[in-house]
Amino acid sequence: MRRYFAFLRDCLRLSFVGDWRYHAWMTLLTVISLVGLYCWCQQLVHGLVTTGMTDQVSWGAYIANFTYLVGLAAAAAMLVIPVYVYRNMHLHDVVIFGELLAIAVIIMCLLFVVVDLGRPDRFLHIFQRFNWPVSMLTWDVIALSGYLLLNLHISGYLLYCAYRGRQPTAAFYVPFVFVAIVWAVSIHTVTAFLYVGLGGRPFWNSAIIAPRFLASAFAAGPALIILTLQIVRRYTSHRVSDEALLTLRRIIQAAMLINIFLLGCELFTEFYTDSAHTASARYLYFGLHGRYGLVPWIWTAIVFELVGALLLVLPVSRALPTLNTACVLTIFGIWVEKGMGLIVPAFIPTPLGEMVEYTPTPQEVMVCLGIWAFGMLLYTIAVRISVPVLGGQMTCAKRYGEPALPEVGPGE
Amino acid sequence: MSKPYELGGGDVADRQGPGLTRRGFLRKGAAAMAGVTAVAGALSPLRELKRRDLPTLERLLQKHYKEMTPDDKQAVLKRIAEEVERRFGVRPTVTDPPPLPGVEYVYALNVSRCVGCRKCVHACVRENNPSRQPEIQYIRVLKMQKGSIDVETSDHHYDPPLVPEHDSYYLPVQCHQCAKPPCVKVCPVEATWQEPDGITVIDYDWCIGCRYCEAACPYWARRFNFAEPTIPRGELNPQMAYLSNRPRMRGVMEKCTFCLHRVRAGRLPACVEVCPTGSRKFGNVLDPDSEVRYILEQKRVYVLKEEVGTLPRMFYYFDERGSRYHEPIAPVRPREPEGPSEGGGQRS
Amino acid sequence: MARVKPSDPPREPGPLPGQRMERLRPVLVPLVLFVVAGVLGSGLWQFESPLGPRRAAPPWASDPRTVYQPKLRPQITIAGYTYRCSDCHDLFPSPAETTRPLTQHREIVLRHGINTRCFNCHHRTNRDALVDDWGREIPYDQPQLLCAKCHGPVYRDWLHGSHGRTGGYWDTTRGPQLRPRCVACHDPHVPPFPPIPPAPGPRTLRMGDQSHPPQPEQTDPLRFHLKTPRGGPRPGDE
Repeated sequence: MRRYFAFLRDCLRLSFVGDWRYHAWMTLLTVISLVGLYCWCQQLVHGLVTTGMTDQVSWGAYIANFTYLVGLAAAAAMLVIPVYVYRNMHLHDVVIFGELLAIAVIIMCLLFVVVDLGRPDRFLHIFQRFNWPVSMLTWDVIALSGYLLLNLHISGYLLYCAYRGRQPTAAFYVPFVFVAIVWAVSIHTVTAFLYVGLGGRPFWNSAIIAPRFLASAFAAGPALIILTLQIVRRYTSHRVSDEALLTLRRIIQAAMLINIFLLGCELFTEFYTDSAHTASARYLYFGLHGRYGLVPWIWTAIVFELVGALLLVLPVSRALPTLNTACVLTIFGIWVEKGMGLIVPAFIPTPLGEMVEYTPTPQEVMVCLGIWAFGMLLYTIAVRISVPVLGGQMTCAKRYGEPALPEVGPGE
Repeated sequence: MSKPYELGGGDVADRQGPGLTRRGFLRKGAAAMAGVTAVAGALSPLRELKRRDLPTLERLLQKHYKEMTPDDKQAVLKRIAEEVERRFGVRPTVTDPPPLPGVEYVYALNVSRCVGCRKCVHACVRENNPSRQPEIQYIRVLKMQKGSIDVETSDHHYDPPLVPEHDSYYLPVQCHQCAKPPCVKVCPVEATWQEPDGITVIDYDWCIGCRYCEAACPYWARRFNFAEPTIPRGELNPQMAYLSNRPRMRGVMEKCTFCLHRVRAGRLPACVEVCPTGSRKFGNVLDPDSEVRYILEQKRVYVLKEEVGTLPRMFYYFDERGSRYHEPIAPVRPREPEGPSEGGGQRS
Repeated sequence: MARVKPSDPPREPGPLPGQRMERLRPVLVPLVLFVVAGVLGSGLWQFESPLGPRRAAPPWASDPRTVYQPKLRPQITIAGYTYRCSDCHDLFPSPAETTRPLTQHREIVLRHGINTRCFNCHHRTNRDALVDDWGREIPYDQPQLLCAKCHGPVYRDWLHGSHGRTGGYWDTTRGPQLRPRCVACHDPHVPPFPPIPPAPGPRTLRMGDQSHPPQPEQTDPLRFHLKTPRGGPRPGDE
């Protein structure tokens, strides 16, 4: 137990150690997080009127980002499946980063939910009266918390074993890994079901939303991981092979093609039918009743996704610069499409036909940026800790001079 | 044996070995102080919170309405009355009327008679103490064009000199107290539920403000307090009930409750009483002599958005010509008189 | 395999840019944080509320009184003095086919559809009463019996509570239910309910510009077939 506290203390101290660029990055993220916290405090004082949300558009940037991030968290499974199910060892050394990313991202999701609540001081009520199994939000609470705990356990166990210099016992983490694979799919399905089950919003009330969520998550998540792995490769001593990146590229290829196919299905269903239920889709893609706010966004997103998919499919993306461009296009395109392209249009027009558009306020944007910065802060710390620990440079033996045990790498 | 892993590495000027030096202490202290100060700066808007915004122990321990004992309820009602008196300078009567046995409410609205004057909207506002700024109104009157029953073609913001307007009809929409309410289904903390007499209510002290119910309602009937509600003192209605019209706080949902504090005492809702044309009808559908029973049995009734399957309690019905009956009917154009024609019956 | 980082201590003397940053780092980071604390704590960035001044609704918008408050008595007030109808009309007989006022009651306009004869409703000899189908008197405070002569379905609905206003209590065991009579809403000489000015429409938070009502972009089924613009008169209307 004492050694576990020593491990935690060492992790904490290690997160403040680094060269000037590390500190500059962390200071920048801290400043952005603090300004985000400031804006959230303003929201606590004045109420949600500091955001751009209204009775007509009652969910906005917070829930949009939440939806997107749940997808990213689920995508950690995309690293785990090739290694544990298909024994593809290219990704073997980088699975841990996927799981650490999942932890940081899930914490961001939970923060986005908290800042969206009108009465966060009453969040304990969810433990006192829990409308499970009828309310999908209760399923989501269980799914996200469980996923966080699973990933914390798996990564924490592997890191602690590496710190202690001993081989991890398969029984303590492999079953959890398989549970996490299934759980990753379920967290995003449950989040999709939040929207799908509402008959009063025909834009959401479609069976294709859940598969689209998964397809776009499994494209955007690995894309982000490709980018972060290159940063890890550049700034730390951890070895990231090109084969790992190319395996991820293959995963994104498949996911993007499925995503675009499902997009095509959705567009056909909405615009060929052309019934009154398609008002929200018409607002999103073509404008409605003189309001065009989201039209440039969605077409940009679609172009980005198509170009990104094309680049990914062509051999040019085997080269890293093109691959990175494709990843950025994918990440941004899916962020717009899932956030602004899914959450906001369902509220415009309202179920009674009123057209009120939504623009996030500066305070709202700052809170979102603050949470993103905080998540990146957590992820940077996680990488900062895990690379030396897994690489055998920071172990209990080296820190406290205990009898040397055979040095082992990460036991995955 | 490799060297002990240095945690304080990277600084060229300081290689005095492991352990805490004065310089190290000062550096770390300065950084820690700066961090704490920065967090305090970030939290500084909280100093604008007023005393009444801060959660008290009483409020934190307050149970859900359904779990309150009668003593709990008495204490809560007393607390609410004191808070209202402090805020508004008016001593209210805060009650908690139970549902009447053998009663289920139904609302009927005569589309032939509604002229779209919006007096129901404002009478409701006077009765139920919603916020005036930002404006919350439970009832929304839709101006519909003749030929369409699709509410998505409606105009909410009509403002002609006189109503009713040419070739329009008016549909006021408020909470329909559905028998299969989607809002109740989705609430994660059970802050909203349907009472035995059919009214869907909200425990304002339990709601966490996630607004899932607002997204779920097909009739856009639920409202959220985005800011601290403001009610002018002189306009406060002091006859209040826990589940209906006591003043709410920011961050919670509210909606039409069929004036629960009135109907459970046997009175009509405020919107029914004020309607100048008598388009609004309300009563106990289980009573075979009630007017709503007569309407449901005899009139041509329908509901909005039947396809979403919510089984609303609000029915719309129509009688005869509608709101244009003050205009003379266009004269019948004279037609050829019937009778034997010269051609000898060529018509088939 | 360790990669050489630019911030590794150099073998030759002289500080590299990374090293300079290393020296300044203990100062810069707290400095930045203090500046942030100062900027945030000073309250420079305040929240500006989007709420404008409140527009109060006019008091008539929630006035529950009926359109008219009829006396339901056979009276008229001229120059401050109240007369019963029979005070004059016992003296002056009128022909049976009278369809409009001649010298008195000129302010009364009769626009009751095809009901253009005064004595369809008013008793010909006892002007303190109304008249039924058989010439018998109907008291002035029972106007619904008169209207029921011709408006049967409406009268039936009024009796059942479906037509007309309701006030007071729905549960008559707890209190009285008010059912105003016909003339509380309908002027018997010009019965159609008059158009009234609407109370102010909604002005909700961040509602935006709502001055342009939705014009249907898909085909409006009725206008498509009638070939008229929305909101305009139909061909054949006066």
